[in-house]
Amino acid sequence: MSIVISALQYLGYILIFPGFLFCFLVGLLLSGIDRKLVAKMQKRVGPPVLQPFYDFFKLCGKETIVPAAASKTVFLMAPLVGLAALVVLQLFIPIFQFTAFSGMADIIVILYLLLIPALAQILGGAASGSPYAGVGLSREMVTIISCELPLVLVLLAVAKTVGSATGEGLSFSFASIAAYQAANGSLILRLSMIPAAIAMLMVIPGETGNHPFDAAEAETEICEGMLAEYSGAPLGIFKLSHAIKMLTLTSLFVALFLGGIGSGIAQLVALMGLTGPAANGLTVLLGAIVTVLLCIVLTVVSISFVHAVTARLKIEQIFKFYWTVVSGLALISLVLAWYGL
Amino acid sequence: MSTALYQHFPILAVMVLFLGAFLIVIFGNVKTLRHLIALLSVTVSLGLLIALVKPVMLEGEIIAYWMGARATAGGYAIGIAMEVDALSLFFGLLVATAVFVSCVYSIQYMSHDDNVGQYYTLFLMLAGGVMGLVLSGDLFNMFIMVEILTFAAVALTAFRNTAKGALEAAFKYLVVGCIGSTCILTGTVMLYAQAHTLNFAQLSALLPGNMNTATVVAFALLYIGFSTKAFIVPFHPLAADAHGAAPASISVLISGVLTKSGLYAIIRLSYFLFQTMELGTMQFLLVFMGSMSMFICVTMALAQHDFKRLLAFHSISQIGYVLTAVGLCTAMGVSSGLYHAMNHTLFKGLLFLAAGAVLHQTGTTDLDKLGGLSKKMPWTTAFFLVGAFSISGIPPFNGFASKWMVYQSIYLKAVESGNIGFLFATIIALVTSVLTLASFVKVSQSVFFGRLPKEYENVTEVPWGMRLAMCLFAVLCVVTGLFPDLVTRYLTQPAADAVFNASGYINAMMGSGYAESVMSVPAMAPAVTYVEVGVWQPVSWLLILVITLLAITIVAIGGQYDRVSESVSAPMDSKYDLFFGGEESVYSQVGGEDLFWGFKHNWRGYFSFMHKLHSGIVNDYSLWAVVALALVTLYMLIVF
Repeated sequence: MSIVISALQYLGYILIFPGFLFCFLVGLLLSGIDRKLVAKMQKRVGPPVLQPFYDFFKLCGKETIVPAAASKTVFLMAPLVGLAALVVLQLFIPIFQFTAFSGMADIIVILYLLLIPALAQILGGAASGSPYAGVGLSREMVTIISCELPLVLVLLAVAKTVGSATGEGLSFSFASIAAYQAANGSLILRLSMIPAAIAMLMVIPGETGNHPFDAAEAETEICEGMLAEYSGAPLGIFKLSHAIKMLTLTSLFVALFLGGIGSGIAQLVALMGLTGPAANGLTVLLGAIVTVLLCIVLTVVSISFVHAVTARLKIEQIFKFYWTVVSGLALISLVLAWYGL
Repeated sequence: MSTALYQHFPILAVMVLFLGAFLIVIFGNVKTLRHLIALLSVTVSLGLLIALVKPVMLEGEIIAYWMGARATAGGYAIGIAMEVDALSLFFGLLVATAVFVSCVYSIQYMSHDDNVGQYYTLFLMLAGGVMGLVLSGDLFNMFIMVEILTFAAVALTAFRNTAKGALEAAFKYLVVGCIGSTCILTGTVMLYAQAHTLNFAQLSALLPGNMNTATVVAFALLYIGFSTKAFIVPFHPLAADAHGAAPASISVLISGVLTKSGLYAIIRLSYFLFQTMELGTMQFLLVFMGSMSMFICVTMALAQHDFKRLLAFHSISQIGYVLTAVGLCTAMGVSSGLYHAMNHTLFKGLLFLAAGAVLHQTGTTDLDKLGGLSKKMPWTTAFFLVGAFSISGIPPFNGFASKWMVYQSIYLKAVESGNIGFLFATIIALVTSVLTLASFVKVSQSVFFGRLPKEYENVTEVPWGMRLAMCLFAVLCVVTGLFPDLVTRYLTQPAADAVFNASGYINAMMGSGYAESVMSVPAMAPAVTYVEVGVWQPVSWLLILVITLLAITIVAIGGQYDRVSESVSAPMDSKYDLFFGGEESVYSQVGGEDLFWGFKHNWRGYFSFMHKLHSGIVNDYSLWAVVALALVTLYMLIVF
C-alpha cells in the first residue's frame, strides 16, 4: 500500500508540483508579465498578461505541417524531449530546503541538463531542413558556448564557497548548498559572491534567448531561425519551453544565491505553532509562493528591463560580451572564493 | 605453484590473433574462409579475456606468466614474461571489444575493396600487436609489439592507396611513428644498461630508488615515444591525417585501441616503473599535456570540414581528458580516467563507424557537400546521434558519467592541493565539453540534417552487418552510461586499485617479499579511497525522464499534437515547401566550415595561428617531436 502511495506522490511531483503543471502555469505567467512590462516600459499598451496561455492553446488547435524536406521523427519529437528535460530540471532544482527528487543530481548535472532543451531545439531546427534554421542553430550554438563559460565559473565559485564553509573542500550537491544557506544566510550576502550573482543575472537572458541576446531567433532577420518551419502544437510546445526556461533559470538563481530566505520561512511556520506534515506542507507552499515571487522579480530585472532598453546584439558581440565582461565578473568571484573570502 | 588453466589465457589471447593473421595469408583467397578465420580469432581472443575477468578483476589475482616456464636466473628476470593485472586486463578488454566490433563491421564495409586478404592479415597483426603490448610483462616485448602495431597501422592507413592523401598520411605516420619507436628503443636500451633487466616488475623494484641522469633521460625518451602512439599534443596532426585516409574500421582501431596502448604504457611507466606520480611536478606534466590536448584538438576540430578528420581531432581531445584525470594521482581521478578511456573506445568507435557508413554509401566525407542523409539512412543517423550525445556528455549517455567524475576529481584535486593550475584544468575540461557538442551539432546539421543535395537522392541505408556493428557500440554506450556504479565497481575501480598497487605487481612476478627487500616499501597495497563530491543517479533519472516524456506525449496527443499533415502526392503542394522568403526554393545551406562563424570570428587570431602551425609538412611535425623530446627531457632533468 505504501508503495502505491509513494508512487502516487512521485507521480504528483512529476505531473503537478513542481513538475509539469506548475512549470506550465508559472512559466507562461512569467512570459506574460515580461511581455506586458516591456510594453509598458516602451509606452505601448501590450497584450494581456494571460496572452501566452491563449497563444499556446490556439497553436495547439492548428494544423501541424511537416515540410517535405524534413526528417519527420526528429522534427516532431524534438519539442517533446526538450520540454520533458525542462520539467525534469525543475524537479531537481530545490525550492529552498525542499527537493522533489533529492540525491539524484548535482549542479554539474544541471549544467548539462540545461543543454538538452537547447539541443532539442537545434536538432528540431536542423531536421526541418530550412536554411533559416541552419543560420539560427549556428547562432544558438554560439550563444550556448558564450553562456557556458560564465555559468561554469559561477557554479565552480559556488561549489568552492559552500565546500570550504562546510569543510568538505568543495560540494556540488544542491542539498549542501541549501543547507549551507539555511544555516549561514543567502550566498548573495557574501561579498565575494556578488560578482558571480551579477554574472548569473546576465547569463539568464542569454540562456533563455531573450533580448538583446536573441540573435538565434531574430524574427526580423531570419524568421525565428530554428522555428521557421514549425507550426501548430510543436511550435506551441517550443514557445512553452521558452517560457519555462525563464522559470528554470530564475529559480536556479534563487536556489544558488537566495536560499537563505528558506530558513526565514521555516521559522515563520514554527512561530505559527504548527508541527508534523502540516508544517512541512505549509513550508513548501510558502516556499513555492516566495520562489515564484522572486522569479517574477528576477525576470523583470534580468529579462524585461534589459529587453526594454537594449537593441539586439550581433552574434560575435554576444560571444565577446559573455567571454569578457560576464566571465570576468564570475572569475573575480571564483578567485575570491579560491582564497577563502 | 599450481598453474590454473586460465593462466595460459593471456598468451593464447595474443597468439590466436597472430595465428589468424598467418592463416589468412595462406587461406585468404577464399572469401568465406577468410571471414571465418578473422571472426573466429577475434571472438576467441575476446572470450579468453572475458574469462579472465573473474580471477583478475573480481578476485584481484595478478597473473605472472613465464613463457617456456623460465623464471629468474641469478636474481635477474630473464626470459619472456607476461603479467596481467587488472589494469592490463582492463585495456585488454577494450582492445578485444573494439577489434571484435570492427571485424564484424569490416566484413561488409571492405567488400568492395581489392586485396581484402591482406587487409585482414594486417588487421589481425595490428590487433595482436596492441593486445601483446598491454598484456606484456617486459619492456623489450613492448617495443616489439610497438613495432608490429606501428607498421601494421601505417600499412592499413595507406590501404586505400588510390585515395587522395592516403600515401601522404601513411608516410607522415611512418616518419613520426619511427621517431617514436626509436625513442622507445633508446629508452629501453638505456634502462637495460642501468638496471640489467627489462622485466617490468624488476625494473619497478630497482628503478625508483636509483634514479640518475641516465634513467631520467630514458624516462623522457619512453614518455615521448609512447606519446606519439597516443597522439597527444604535439603529435595530433598525424592522427588527423591517418584517420582521414584510413578505412573507417581501421580508424576505430587507431582511435579506440592504438591510442589506448600509448596511454597504457604512459600509466605503466609513470605509476610503476618510475613511481613518480606522487610528485607534483609529474602530475603537472601529465595534466598540462592532457589539458593542452583537450583544448587545442577541440578547437582544431571546430575548424575542420571533413567528417573523419573532425572525429580524429575529437579523439585526441577526449584522450586529453583521460590523461588529465590519470595525471591527478588520486583514486577517483585514475578510476574516472579509465572510465573515460573505456567510453572513448565505445563512442569514438561508434562515430567512426557512422562516418564509414556515410563514406560507404555516398563516397565522400566532406561536410560541405553532404546533407539531409537522415531521411535516407535513419539507422545510421540514430546511431550517430547516440555517439554524438555520448561524446558531448549529454546525460544519460556514457560520456556524461565519466566526464562528470573527471570534473569532480580535477576540481577536488585543485581544492585539496591548492594549486590554481588544476582550477584552470577544470575550466578547460568543462568548456571543451561544450565545444565538443558544438562540433557535433555541426556534423549533424551538415551530414544528417539540413537539405539533401540532388546527387544523394538515391542513397540507401547500409547493409545489416554494418548496422549490427554500430548497434553493438550504441548499446554499450547506453548501458555503460546508465549503470556507472556497476562499471566502476567491476571494471574501473579494480583497475585503479591495481594502478596504486605497484608492490603487489612486483611481488606477483618476482616472488613475495621481493619488493620489500629491494625498495623497503610496505607490503600491503595502499588503502585506496574514492571520494565523491556530487550525486548522479542515472537509472532513476531516466525513469523520471521517461515518465515525464510519456505524460507530455499523452497531453500533447490529447491536444491534437498528431494532427500532422504531410505531403503525399508527387506534384508537391507549395505548403510543404521550405520557406525561402518568397524566393524559389534552391539548395542553400550554411557550409560546415562556416557554421560557427560567430565563435571563430572572435578567435580569428588563434585560428589563423593554428592554421599556419599545422602546415601539413612532415618535416615540421618531426621538428615538433624533437622539440617536445628536448623540452620534456629538460623538464625531467630539472625536476628530478
